[in-house]
Amino acid sequence: MTDCGCDKAKAELEEYLHRELSDEDFRDVTEHLENCDDCTGEHLVGFTMIVKMQKACQEKAPDELRSKILYSLSNAGPSAPAAE
Amino acid sequence: MTTSVLERPRTQWPLDRPELDSSAMDDDKLTEPDQDHSEIEAEFDAIDSEDIRRGAKRSALPPAELRRLFEEQAIPFMDQLYAAAMRMTRNPADAGDLVQESYAKAYAAFAQFQQGTNLKAWLYRILTNTFINGYRKNQRNPYQNTIDDLEDWQLGSAESLTQGRSTRSAEAEAIDHLPDSDVKEALQSIPEDFRLAVYLADVEGFAYQEIADIMKTPVGTVMSRLHRGRRLLRGLLADYARERGFAAAEPASPRSTT
Repeated sequence: MTDCGCDKAKAELEEYLHRELSDEDFRDVTEHLENCDDCTGEHLVGFTMIVKMQKACQEKAPDELRSKILYSLSNAGPSAPAAE
Repeated sequence: MTTSVLERPRTQWPLDRPELDSSAMDDDKLTEPDQDHSEIEAEFDAIDSEDIRRGAKRSALPPAELRRLFEEQAIPFMDQLYAAAMRMTRNPADAGDLVQESYAKAYAAFAQFQQGTNLKAWLYRILTNTFINGYRKNQRNPYQNTIDDLEDWQLGSAESLTQGRSTRSAEAEAIDHLPDSDVKEALQSIPEDFRLAVYLADVEGFAYQEIADIMKTPVGTVMSRLHRGRRLLRGLLADYARERGFAAAEPASPRSTT
């Protein structure tokens, strides 16, 4: 049992969510989450926020904008600044 | 007590205050054999310092081939860039202009893009830089430059963090029930630098180092902005959930014993 404890888990939860921890720290926090309701709840809140944000930010570029940009490519070369 | 998280950031905030003047980063600019494009490069500050540090060379591909590659590789990011631009500018007209201008810059500089490196991050650097240098100047908020210096208590909206454990899964559930419009509104309500960091990490999944490159700020500042931005966001989402009557998201004030 190398449970890292709530302090470490909570301090690192954000990096855990963002996959920024070292393998060792990642394992420690994962292990702690399996045994701690409090931290699991905290993790769930953070995770839910990410999922919700990803779902909410799915705008599609308007067709008009797309054609405007594609059209401008034909009038500007990649080796010259776009004519404005 | 989760507030302890706030008291012990792994980074020495605010010692890692970002260099606001990014021009300092351009000192290591290499002199290019092909001088025709020096003006373009000067303009595309977002692009050059990173690429040149990595030894990027101008592509020798003919223009028609570059254009084909650009359409094939860069254009598919348009929806993503537009969604990001919507969060940045907060309105469709400016978002459209921002995306269009960013694509024009990206296309003009595409010969410098090194195939095989991260095109998405490259495009986001251009987008972010264009936004910061152009749009943000026009809608300058005096609050903006000092945002990293504010104390946590000045940022407020931390009440949801003090909830007891039994309400955490209820809080997650309440957040989960919020409509997309609430989530977008909350995201758009937090200070810009926080919003960008949160967006780039949570929505786009960029690594902290990539966000640091995109925002031209130290990784420690990225982490601080992320942490505080998510904390603000969480408070706002709890507020919205409460307004919508999701009982789960009650404030920290002691719940009446039911």
